[in-house]
Amino acid sequence: MTLQITNITKRYPNGVQALRDVTLTIPNGMYGLLGPNGAGKSTLMRTLATLQEPDMGSIYLDGIDVLNQKEEVRQTLGYLPQEFGIYPKARAEDLLDYFAVLKGITNRASRREVVEALLKQTNLWDVRRQKLGGFSGGMKQRFGVAVALLGNPKLMIVDEPTAGLDPAERVRFLNLLSELGENSVVILSTHIVEDVSELCTRMAIINKGQILQEAEPLKAVAGLQGRIWRRIVEKRVLPQLEQDHKVISTKLLSGRTVVHVYSEVDPGNGFEEVAPDLEDVYFTTMAGHIGNIKPEVAL
Amino acid sequence: MKLWNIFRYEFAYQAGRISTWLCLAVLLAFTIGMGQLISTNDGVYPNNTLHITAMTVIGGLIWLLMGASICGEAAARDVQMRMHPLIYTTPVSKLNYLGGRFLAAFGVNALLVLALPVGLLLSFYLPGMEQDALLPFRPWAYLSVFLIIALPNAFVATALQFTFAVLSRQVMVSYMASLLLAIFPQLIAVSAANLFGNWDLVKLLDPVGVAGIVVNELGTWTPTEKNTRLITLEGMFLWNRVLWVSVAIGLLWLTYLRFSFTNPLTSSWWSRFKRRSNVQTNTYVQNPLVRQTAITFPQVERSFGFATWFQQVLTIAWASFKKIARHPAGLTLVGAIALASVAFSDQIMTQFGIPLLPTTQQVVDYLTAPVSNVGTAWVVIPLLIMYFVGELIWHEREGGLSDVADAAPVPEWVLLTGKLLGLGLILVVWMALLLAGGIGMQLVLGYDKPEIGLYVQTLFGIQLADYLLFALLALVIHVVINQKYIGYLVVLFVFSFMAFPSYFRVEHTMLVFGADPGWWYTDMRGFGPSLGPWLWFKLYWAAWALLLAVGARLFWVRGREQSLKYRIWLVQRRFTRSTTWVAMLGAGLLLTLGSFVFYNTNVLNDYLTVSDIMERKAAYELRYGQYRNTLQPQLTATKLHVELYPEQQEARIQGTYTLVNKETEPIDSIHVGSVSGIEFHGVVFNRPAAAVLIDKVLNHHIYALKQPLQPGDSLQLNFVVHYNQHGFSNSGTNALVMENGTNFTNYDLLPTIGYQHHREIDDAVLRKRHKLAARPALPSLCDREARKKPFSSAQTTLETIVGTAKNEVAVAPGALQQTWTKGDRHYFHYKTSASIGSEYTILSGSYAVQESKWKDVAITIYYHPEHNLNIARMLESVKSSLAYYSEQFGPYPYGNMNLVERAGPGGGATADAGIIYYGEQYALMNPDDSPDGFDLPYYILAHEVGHQWWGVARLTPAYVEGAGVLIEGLAVYSGMQVLEKGYGDNHLGKYVNYLHSTYEMPRSLASASLLRANEAFLYYRKGGLAMHALSKYIGKEKVNDALRRLLQKRTSGELPLPTTLDLYQQIQNVTPDSLNYLLHDLFKENTYWRLKTEQFTAAQTKAGSWLVTMQVQAQKVIVDSTGQEKEVPMNDWLEVGIYEEGKELNKPLYLKMHRIHSGKQTITVRVPRKPDRGGVDPNHLMIDLRRDDNMN
Repeated sequence: MTLQITNITKRYPNGVQALRDVTLTIPNGMYGLLGPNGAGKSTLMRTLATLQEPDMGSIYLDGIDVLNQKEEVRQTLGYLPQEFGIYPKARAEDLLDYFAVLKGITNRASRREVVEALLKQTNLWDVRRQKLGGFSGGMKQRFGVAVALLGNPKLMIVDEPTAGLDPAERVRFLNLLSELGENSVVILSTHIVEDVSELCTRMAIINKGQILQEAEPLKAVAGLQGRIWRRIVEKRVLPQLEQDHKVISTKLLSGRTVVHVYSEVDPGNGFEEVAPDLEDVYFTTMAGHIGNIKPEVAL
Repeated sequence: MKLWNIFRYEFAYQAGRISTWLCLAVLLAFTIGMGQLISTNDGVYPNNTLHITAMTVIGGLIWLLMGASICGEAAARDVQMRMHPLIYTTPVSKLNYLGGRFLAAFGVNALLVLALPVGLLLSFYLPGMEQDALLPFRPWAYLSVFLIIALPNAFVATALQFTFAVLSRQVMVSYMASLLLAIFPQLIAVSAANLFGNWDLVKLLDPVGVAGIVVNELGTWTPTEKNTRLITLEGMFLWNRVLWVSVAIGLLWLTYLRFSFTNPLTSSWWSRFKRRSNVQTNTYVQNPLVRQTAITFPQVERSFGFATWFQQVLTIAWASFKKIARHPAGLTLVGAIALASVAFSDQIMTQFGIPLLPTTQQVVDYLTAPVSNVGTAWVVIPLLIMYFVGELIWHEREGGLSDVADAAPVPEWVLLTGKLLGLGLILVVWMALLLAGGIGMQLVLGYDKPEIGLYVQTLFGIQLADYLLFALLALVIHVVINQKYIGYLVVLFVFSFMAFPSYFRVEHTMLVFGADPGWWYTDMRGFGPSLGPWLWFKLYWAAWALLLAVGARLFWVRGREQSLKYRIWLVQRRFTRSTTWVAMLGAGLLLTLGSFVFYNTNVLNDYLTVSDIMERKAAYELRYGQYRNTLQPQLTATKLHVELYPEQQEARIQGTYTLVNKETEPIDSIHVGSVSGIEFHGVVFNRPAAAVLIDKVLNHHIYALKQPLQPGDSLQLNFVVHYNQHGFSNSGTNALVMENGTNFTNYDLLPTIGYQHHREIDDAVLRKRHKLAARPALPSLCDREARKKPFSSAQTTLETIVGTAKNEVAVAPGALQQTWTKGDRHYFHYKTSASIGSEYTILSGSYAVQESKWKDVAITIYYHPEHNLNIARMLESVKSSLAYYSEQFGPYPYGNMNLVERAGPGGGATADAGIIYYGEQYALMNPDDSPDGFDLPYYILAHEVGHQWWGVARLTPAYVEGAGVLIEGLAVYSGMQVLEKGYGDNHLGKYVNYLHSTYEMPRSLASASLLRANEAFLYYRKGGLAMHALSKYIGKEKVNDALRRLLQKRTSGELPLPTTLDLYQQIQNVTPDSLNYLLHDLFKENTYWRLKTEQFTAAQTKAGSWLVTMQVQAQKVIVDSTGQEKEVPMNDWLEVGIYEEGKELNKPLYLKMHRIHSGKQTITVRVPRKPDRGGVDPNHLMIDLRRDDNMN
């Protein structure tokens, strides 16, 4: 199963260019879409989830034209939006059952079986008779996951799913997803680098509507080997450093600043080489030192 | 300062919403439009106070329903938009937050209702507004209405909306507040007023003013008052304002107390009104170990196809149903009305205040109303439909679940159908509540034969279909508009259009969504032919509904793309093959059914708009008015051979009129016309004649006689009428000939002779518009020429042979000569023994027949076999009446008396010569005939028998003012005598109360005098009261004597024709001079007495008797027809009565006439036993609007 996204472009009526010529090929497995807030992740996710129309481009899930065969896509789709509400008066079990019918699970017995399994998987079984209005953020999120997982979707789109989860829940959830990714396309959008680094076999970094880099996390990290240098400095020398080097990130560490710079050769000047991680890949890409950033088209 | 900032921000926010401006636009359009549409007359100027006030009040009602979201937004937007965590944590006090929000909402609302007087001003003074003469500009007329009606109303409404929205944390619950305010207090007020007979209660309780101000207060204003009087804050109305403003302040206080800046813990709506229970549930879950074990899901089979879709529809429907059912207004409102109906069933199931047998037909009649009828409590159903449709359409989006739901593999039409079906389920439950309520009403009233089938047919068949159509329309509007509040506004607007299409100059039923020509059900006729047209129209609308549903599917919003451009593009995309097929099917059905309905309404039948009809009337007068005074022979004998085919709704009539020249000059032409427009043909005279003019549009034919008809000569005119209901018309079918329910009058089907003045337009404004000469609605009593024209021109004998279906009995005036069957037809031959005036009815039905006799008069009752409750009572009444009237006024002229139940609604009865027809509801009246009760049905028949003396056959008055007094007034008086004779003065007293009660209903004091009476109120009510008073003052023997003389002197048809002047003359002859003033007051002036006993004291004397002292206040005023009041000095004879404790009015301790003069006076009387109460005019002989203070 492959999701082929070709030249997707979307511009909102208020002038925001949400997606610019996005082309991606997404195979089975977990695929991470990494980018800062407002990068266009959710727009892309909603477009994949049949909820939005691009201005241009095409999307194919194997033989299915996602943009024009929405009904077929929805039959294999699992979608967890970044933001969603719940009916406060409904009970978890009832609402999940309701969605199970909407997802085409019409057999009552198998529906009950699925609902039970999902509630147990998402650790909501004990509160299944409680009203959703009393759920915490994490419980709500898990409920959303349960809805998305209904019906063994072949295309799973999860938009910033780990935002409201505590560490344990997050791990459980990501495990759940990677399990699912064995024979489905799972696209996970996030701005948290760890989400991607731990689980995704492939990833793309997106900013301002553009795909900056598409890679396998491990290979991308390996590609940076020997090019990330670190130095701990006083805050006041930072401006000078920024002029002299390609600074990709600065972090405050008990009053002093840890600076990472990108350099293909040893920059000297007290910098020491560090083993790169995915965060360095992300920041290097965002800073434009690697990847395929294009100059903005002047209008 | 914070309050000011909150206020300013909120006000600006509201002012920036489109719906606010839409509301403003609608209010302005309403006032300006109404200013153009409503025409005034009778010396009332367009910019009179009544118009200004009424429009402000009604516009306020529109605002109430439209503007609910403004306050709801201000009160609950933060929670609904989930902004509240940000706002609740700011250091703002509750008072500032709530106060600022409330004041902003109130400010916006105040400005909106200000649009009403402003719009009115514009409607008068905007350039280009065509207006007649105006009164001078009076700023106070507008200001006072705004300040004491509109503004307090806005305050009360805003407060209630605010309370509802804040406490429920939902914006649209404020709409519920509006709904409650618009419907319930008015209903309660009006029913309380009906219950206790105190109309001031309405003024006190009605917060909106439609019932309290417009109907109750303004209804009593005279033309002069309408022009000049201003609305003032006094009396009951002041208390009303105080009451409701206090209620509003109380509500705001409650809101303040119950509100807190906390996250809503519970979503239960009701719990916020009560003390919080501990609803925080334990949602903490033991955090499990983080397991890396493989996860297994059961592999389930998913299927997509019709079976799945069907199940999804049901699932969505059930979820929608549950959502509405759990809503606080979901089942309660309809349930409450149903319950109240059961509780007040003894008040509801009445006719003229007399208990009715609660047959299912009667109960169903109460429970059902057309969707667009805003005049009954059931208007709550369409209003609730409007509300819940919006809630359902926006359910997912407001719940934040729309992304998830929209991404589910569910076709749009499944969502649409599911929601509609969910609403349908609620409607089914509502109908079930009504059914339960209906059966409850019957059981409470001790009636144990509910017809479940009829309930099901009407509630679950007819009403449900109507409501579903409306629900679908509302649904489609919401889908297409895609803006919740604007959607509500548009639906409301469409509903007003459906309710008042004529204001929009739309009359054809095919143009008003969901409309039908109406259906009816009666015990005799069943649904008759009314169901067919109803069904065709509904099928036609169902075809529309199918197209609308396609439209809803095409425009259904899914996902985040909501721009119009995208949606239009999407419509093209969604036009799949199946959609095209459904759309084509819908369009095909629409075309076929539409053409069929149109063929029926406009081709098979004439379609005439109201203005077409008026134009025809005007054309008739303009063209043939010249023959108004052309001499015509008089109809003296009618022979009819009528063949009725009830199953086919068909009648064939061959008729022969014998016309006699009763004039002194020869007559050379005969004018034959048809009032109803039913064609007649085959006109043949028994002497040479030629048609000069055949006008088939206005139905007026003129035939010239070769040889003029000499005075005293007669001729015969033969004609044929073939009546056949072709299909159905825009207003349904004519209820003339049908199975078990045929009845038609000669004016319905048969030709008339001469120019018919009652085909003219009477209304002065309409006459002016059609350029007809101004004339009074009724010719003046002083018009000597008019006094030569009789009320009805013909005095004919009637001989009829009526053939009808084998199982039916046909009835016509006269004695039954013979009856026979031929083939499968049943024939009846009737013949009258004397002339019967000009009007008669022919009936046919599956009647049961009861025969009886009074002296030589054969009495026959033809009745629906199940309606046998009152047969004995009716016979009794007819016999007593015949006996009393023949003794008092002269012999009964006919050998028979037929009483026939006339199929159709109606609780009254009408009389022609020798025959009385009563409605089906009359047959169900179940009066209390104990001495303390009131046997109104007994009286009604006595009244109708009275018409055998005081009616068109015997005493034909001149067609001038006061004619109705001679016919109805005297019949009322006669009936009262028989009622008194049969039941004693207790029942009579009840009837006098009944006559008085109409005076106490809000109405203008201004009216004509009895001599020149020109309206039914004067004929029946004032006429009856005056004659009754007279009989008590001079004795009924003398009054009867006078009436007998009047009758002897003025037998039918002879000139000079009797008028009220003759009646006055005869009464004056028997009245002592000392009471001449009373005759004058009762008959020549419109007089009101204001009598009050302010103090009543009694002291025992040494001799053991009691000395009673009464302080009496008296006043007499005369009000002319323009409403000018004039106090006149009085020194009148009035009854003074003193009563013992526990004794009725008919057992006075003391009752004598005293002279009472204007002003205060003391009356001292000695009585033998201990008195309890007493006063002046205890029997209410005079017309006094406050009867409860006559005694103390």
